Amino acid sequence: MKRSPVMKTALAVAMTLAAVTAQAQQAAPVPAVDPAATKALEAMSTYLRSLKTFSVEAATATDDVLEDGQVSTNTAKTVIVVQMPSRLFAETSSDRQSRSYVYDGKTFTLYARRAGYYATVPAPATLRELADALSDKYGIELPLTDLFLWGAPGWGTGEITAAVDLGPAEVAGTTCQHYAFRQPGADWQIWIQKGDFPLPRRLVITTTDDDAKPRHMVNYTWNLAPSVNDAAFTFTAPKGANKIVLATVSQ
Amino acid sequence: MSRTIRASVSLVLAALLCGPSVALVQAADRNRAKTSVNNKSKNVNRNENRNTNINRNKNVNVNSNRNVNRDVDIDIDRDIDIDVDRHGCCYHDHDGWGVAAAVATTAVVTAAVVGTRVNTLPAGCTVVYANGITYQQCGTVYYQPQFVGTTTTYVVVNSPY
Repeated sequence: MKRSPVMKTALAVAMTLAAVTAQAQQAAPVPAVDPAATKALEAMSTYLRSLKTFSVEAATATDDVLEDGQVSTNTAKTVIVVQMPSRLFAETSSDRQSRSYVYDGKTFTLYARRAGYYATVPAPATLRELADALSDKYGIELPLTDLFLWGAPGWGTGEITAAVDLGPAEVAGTTCQHYAFRQPGADWQIWIQKGDFPLPRRLVITTTDDDAKPRHMVNYTWNLAPSVNDAAFTFTAPKGANKIVLATVSQ
Repeated sequence: MSRTIRASVSLVLAALLCGPSVALVQAADRNRAKTSVNNKSKNVNRNENRNTNINRNKNVNVNSNRNVNRDVDIDIDRDIDIDVDRHGCCYHDHDGWGVAAAVATTAVVTAAVVGTRVNTLPAGCTVVYANGITYQQCGTVYYQPQFVGTTTTYVVVNSPY
């Protein structure tokens, strides 16, 4: 049956409309930063900053990049005991290094246990200021430093350029929600415990400004009610340990 | 005769304990993975002082033959008894351990310039103290142990006395 010219035109218009609608639907962008993901990160950070006394055990794996771009992975065990705002005791034991970090609100000591060297410097009044001062002046990053920096004054999600919710996943038998974030220089993933205690249970940071894309991975085990006394945060030089200095690094 | 044999055995022991070759162990780093998403400081995880390993690598390869024949009786035995038992083996990020590398750097010490930074001390150093600070005296050269970041290093300094 031959189509009338009116029918032909109507058909053409209908098809064009359909095409335009389809294109409009395709063009509607999926937001690069899923607001649900950044909200979850903010909720976790708020919860972290509400904790007064806590202890964390962490198992980490960190990549070094060799001159030719190959990667060398170093694993470590870290224990930190924190009393906000101004007490920290931390011990790390890696494949190759053992270090202790002691802060009592007045001084900070770095102790190399096997080498028998320690160095003590005056410290600012809070843990967060200490974290900043140590990395700026001495190039020292406190172990698990993100646990003090998430949600701290001045922290925000403004640098994040992509955020996605990857769904539920189990870490050490606990159900978590798995998120991936992107910011300049790093892609990172975090597994946040579901339920009343939105704690970070795993963190993976991929450095994106090196072709080798070296990774740092942390699995956290939490104790929200450790028993501590002030002696834990006081450094006493063991017999035979030698006092040395911290070198200041240039900006 | 027996001293030479004993020295050779010690050398073999050092090689076995430290891995196939010292040259392989002393790989230098160009970078390290970021360990924080919130720490914006440019100073951490920097590749400070890793270059000294490249130089030491070269020295080991160049000088080792000479040192083996000359210094073997005095240095190698002593180093192995003191260092290996206590510390284990060698790697650039360790707290000043390196045993086989120490043999080669004996030849380098006398030319050390104030301000030179090394990650491992040469052989034959003693701990001395001045003004409450620790120094390592190695022959006529004084090193000040320092933490650069969390790595122990040694800087050649003028005598603190």
